[in-house]
Amino acid sequence: MIKLVDVIKNYAIGENEIPALRNINLHIAKGEYVSIMGPSGSGKSTLMNILGCLDTPSSGHYFFKGTDVSILNDDQLSAMRNSEIGFVFQNFNLLPRLNSLQNVELPLIYAGMPAAERKKRALEALERVGLSGRLDHKPGELSGGQRQRVAIARALVTHPGILLADEPTGALDSKTGVEIMALFQELHDEGNTIILITHEAEIADYAHRNIFIKDGMIHSDKCRVVSD
Amino acid sequence: MQLDENIKLALSGVSDHKFRSFLTMLGIIFGVASVITMLSIGEGAKREAIAKYQDLGVNNIIVREKNLSDNELEEVRARFSQGLSLQDAEVIREILPGVNQVASQAEIATEVKYADKSVKSTVVGVSAGYLEMMNYTLKSGEFIQESQYNSRMKVCVLGAGVATLLFAQTDPIGQMVKIDDQWMEVVGVLASKTLFTETVGELAARDLNTDVYLPLSTFLNRFTREKELSNEIQQITVQVENSATIVQASQLVNEILKRRHFNNEDYNIVVPYELLKQEEKERQIYNFLLGAIAAISLLVGGIGIMNIMLATVMERTREIGIRRSIGARKADIMSQFVAEAVAISITGGLIGVVLGVSLSLIVSFFTDVSTCIRLYSIVIAFAFSVIVGICFGYLPAKNAANLKPVDSIRYE
Repeated sequence: MIKLVDVIKNYAIGENEIPALRNINLHIAKGEYVSIMGPSGSGKSTLMNILGCLDTPSSGHYFFKGTDVSILNDDQLSAMRNSEIGFVFQNFNLLPRLNSLQNVELPLIYAGMPAAERKKRALEALERVGLSGRLDHKPGELSGGQRQRVAIARALVTHPGILLADEPTGALDSKTGVEIMALFQELHDEGNTIILITHEAEIADYAHRNIFIKDGMIHSDKCRVVSD
Repeated sequence: MQLDENIKLALSGVSDHKFRSFLTMLGIIFGVASVITMLSIGEGAKREAIAKYQDLGVNNIIVREKNLSDNELEEVRARFSQGLSLQDAEVIREILPGVNQVASQAEIATEVKYADKSVKSTVVGVSAGYLEMMNYTLKSGEFIQESQYNSRMKVCVLGAGVATLLFAQTDPIGQMVKIDDQWMEVVGVLASKTLFTETVGELAARDLNTDVYLPLSTFLNRFTREKELSNEIQQITVQVENSATIVQASQLVNEILKRRHFNNEDYNIVVPYELLKQEEKERQIYNFLLGAIAAISLLVGGIGIMNIMLATVMERTREIGIRRSIGARKADIMSQFVAEAVAISITGGLIGVVLGVSLSLIVSFFTDVSTCIRLYSIVIAFAFSVIVGICFGYLPAKNAANLKPVDSIRYE
């Protein structure tokens, strides 16, 4: 599903090239639940940007479902993000002036889907995350946990190839965080591929495969036996 | 993204910040309103001018006596000029090619009386075809007939003002009025004329509603000249068939009169058509200035829009990042912000149209300035405001579209 081959990413700061990722090779299969962990500055955000098609590698290749993403143009990357990537951010990143339903519908608008079908899909997604009763609420009228559920519904609504969660519990209290992680577990059980980026070991432990990166390189890649 | 989604998005962008959008629109509102108001005032003035000259007849050459002092009058008589005369009119009719009609008129200022009422009036002796030549309209009765002229009948036609002052209740037709010391029968009343309230060329402004018209034959027979040396008649109106040759015709009239008056210039020649053309030329300059003012005000309005849109893009960097991360293409962001700028300028344009039309109506209602709103001025003003929105929304929208999703999504 996802294959990174010799991916290198450098950032130019002034005249210096700062390496953020040095030679990453990674393979993630469909239906996996992977956590990527590392201290701040380790390059995990850069890796997430590349996995999420927000950025392209300086060199190397990124294959998504066999397509070489690293050579796509801006419009193609946008289409990729729209149809294949479901982002869940730490700070939710919902549009404050839109209600839950409108926020969830947004990716489908960019996909060019007709209004009726859009609404049906958005309602399904909101129902899936247990927020059918909060359709008209704007993000400001929702709790943190509810906002994150809206964000997850928005990520799910296009039926993407992967869910990419960047510190999804970072802005939540621990009880709510546990609920959100339970939701991710359920989504994984339903067959979704999930990549979880975090710097907290307890959160990373929810995943079945833990990748640890440090100084822009994969330091360890371990599969965990999950006891159900 | 579909067009309707873009429009919805743009309108919500405008209505989310109503006050700010309104302030942004002000430039466009005043620009459009001033364009419409100024054009309507210009158009009103143009129509008034055209009506004024048409009233005098665009095919007419008007020869009018010069107002001379007694000394000057004596001087021209000493130099053999007899002043304007019926003979002059006759010669012009015979010599001038392409002449349609020639009418002579003599005037005297005197009082017109009926019962116990009296009114100061200009009594004008005219020939039978005068009504058609001058584009006057009758309210009731009929104008002086050829037969009445030939038999020097004591009949008269009253101007609207004279009729209302003398005959408040009764029908004036068939009544006898006393003009100077002569009794005349009223055979017709003219419709009211509001125009000719300002001096045209050498023609002094005069209220035509206080005129009383008699057959010129009767007039010359019954009334003595104001002064012994006065001209026989005060005005000759020459109507030519084609206004294209009217300038040459007027020059020829001048040559004829010069010879007959022994080079004494005791008359003026006014060609309304020529004056109309002149005024049209002047108006072109005026219209160009109006256009320049309009362009500047709309430009300023456009800069206002650009300024706010640039600030809006900064403020909404995060939103742009979010939209990009869930699949908006550059073109989607671009069209979102252009649409928003256009929504502001269209709304401003519409408000400006309403304001401009109201201002024009207010101006013509409360002042003497007449206005005329033409559809084309509304269309031009509105189209300009839309173009301004597109042009000045383009740069901010381009900035928005070129933001890197990676950076903008984490923008605080």
